Amino acid sequence: MSSPPPDAAALECRGLSKRFGQVQALDALDVVLTAPATGLLGANGAGKSTLLRTALGLTRPDAGRLAVLGLDAVAQRAEVRRRVGFMPEHPCLPADLSAQDVCVHLARMRGLGRRDAVRRTSEVLFAVGLEEERRRPVGSYSLGMQQRTKLAQALVHGPDLVLLDEPTSGLDPAGREEMLRIVRRLSTELGIRVVTSSHVLDDIERTCDEVVVLRSGRLAAQRPVQVAGAGAGPVRVQVTGDVPAFAAALEAVAAPLGARLAPAPDGALVLDRGTDEVLDAVRDLAVERGVGLARVAPAGRGLEDVVLDAMQGAEQGAEQEAERAGQEVATGER
Amino acid sequence: MSAETTAGEGAAPRAVLHDIRYSRWSGTLRPRRSAVAAFVASGVRRPLGLRRSAGAKVWPFLLLGAAYLPALAVVAVPLLVPAVPVQPTELISYPQLLATNAVVLLAFTATSVPSMLTRDRRDRVLSLYFATALSWLEYVTGVVLAALALLAIIVLGPMLVLFVGSVATADEPLRWLGDTAGELPRIVAAAALVAAFHAALGLAAGSLTSRRVFAVGGYLAVVLVGPALANLLAAVTGEEWPLAFDPATGPVRLATSVLDGTAGTGALGWAVWAAVVVAGCAVLALKYGRGSDA
Repeated sequence: MSSPPPDAAALECRGLSKRFGQVQALDALDVVLTAPATGLLGANGAGKSTLLRTALGLTRPDAGRLAVLGLDAVAQRAEVRRRVGFMPEHPCLPADLSAQDVCVHLARMRGLGRRDAVRRTSEVLFAVGLEEERRRPVGSYSLGMQQRTKLAQALVHGPDLVLLDEPTSGLDPAGREEMLRIVRRLSTELGIRVVTSSHVLDDIERTCDEVVVLRSGRLAAQRPVQVAGAGAGPVRVQVTGDVPAFAAALEAVAAPLGARLAPAPDGALVLDRGTDEVLDAVRDLAVERGVGLARVAPAGRGLEDVVLDAMQGAEQGAEQEAERAGQEVATGER
Repeated sequence: MSAETTAGEGAAPRAVLHDIRYSRWSGTLRPRRSAVAAFVASGVRRPLGLRRSAGAKVWPFLLLGAAYLPALAVVAVPLLVPAVPVQPTELISYPQLLATNAVVLLAFTATSVPSMLTRDRRDRVLSLYFATALSWLEYVTGVVLAALALLAIIVLGPMLVLFVGSVATADEPLRWLGDTAGELPRIVAAAALVAAFHAALGLAAGSLTSRRVFAVGGYLAVVLVGPALANLLAAVTGEEWPLAFDPATGPVRLATSVLDGTAGTGALGWAVWAAVVVAGCAVLALKYGRGSDA
């Protein structure tokens, strides 16, 4: 049995391609997921599910290579199975079995002895909040409870990596909050790598360290969720009341703090630095002047803008522009 | 993590606090054969309705009762009425027991074996199995073993009851056991022949569709229409060889020949049996060999 290196990427795709009939689901995809928790975003048909299914060995790639925790997803299937947990989006639980029986059954098939399987099942069902209901048939569960059971079975054998396909799908607000809290805890407290596929950027922002955007089977963007220094970047301030007087006073207050003020065309005020001291000064001055603070928000392009652009192809267009420009420079040099 | 509360220095702990929150598990996994054995045990339990509702147990246990009733009855007669000096095997022989249970066996196989496969596809649990638990070969091996074990309960079980009963009711049980012990391997081999044939047929039917009703219908069509066609052909030709193609009684004839040491339906019967078993395994391999959950 070969052990993967401890710092191996959760997923590493090199020229990965998969075609279903006329549809190119993955198109020479090159991406390496090294973050503790990575979110896969993309529109329907972007290739998210195909990537997960290929990583799990449920679909064979037409070309390229996919490594899971440093193990070849095709050649080392048995070892990959042992180290990975999977929570599918679709219903996948026998309706006539209880959550307890489902988890024990799957734990035993993954190699746990009976006693370990029962003990681990109790732990994971407790962790996902199904301790009291564990003996009821899964068919009588609400959608949220079924989602929790699916997550429990994915964790019962202590995987190094869990692949979650739309973990909050169909959940009510309270259930969604609970699920996001559990998913975040996997990577931050328990050291389990997480790859989550979702349509909801907010879910990814709250549970992941990195976001990967797929578009037409190709990598459209890969960004950390928390950009270093983003908290001190430029901020837009929108106030109600005597805006010119407030702007003049704010300029005088902000200058000693190293921030410069510039008016925006839409009447908002833009400060080029958004440190805590500057924001405190904005708040205090608004109180002092009696103006209302309508909105204080980062002025730079946020994750949402980047993701939306990537999903719509803007980034791809920009890259093509850059590539064209590079070719022109190269041609000129020749 | 745990903490102990003690009454005093050196005293035994009065209470132990355990942290039962989820934590990473780092124990050693058992060999794969252990996982397959667990899968087989689960595959036997579910069709019998074990760990399921009471309603799920009614039909399988009704059929099991019907299958065991003849053997239990003939064993009970000399046990309850010692004045009757008769051996259970004189009241009903092993081939007769097989023939008596043939219809019950078909009903039991139809309701339990094809659904071992259709149920997993209906529940869409194959994606979990193949992604994180079993290889396709382990899955197919487990399902075949579970089907054989399940059918052994209804084919081999009554014959073993008859065998044990005949020993228990003999005037000199040990001497009787010594005399008849040679029958035991033939009993097991005969039961294996019947079980393997119907397991292959039932699983092949179950692998071709995800709808239980079609799988059961397909199996029943083969074992009910097949005998009619074989008998019609035998009547038209005036020969016995078409009976080798009878899927309902063909395996029982083979088993009888093993038990009696007679020729039975001859080489053709063995060829048909082997063809069905090999074809059933080939269908399973073709269906699941890609390891896909589709």
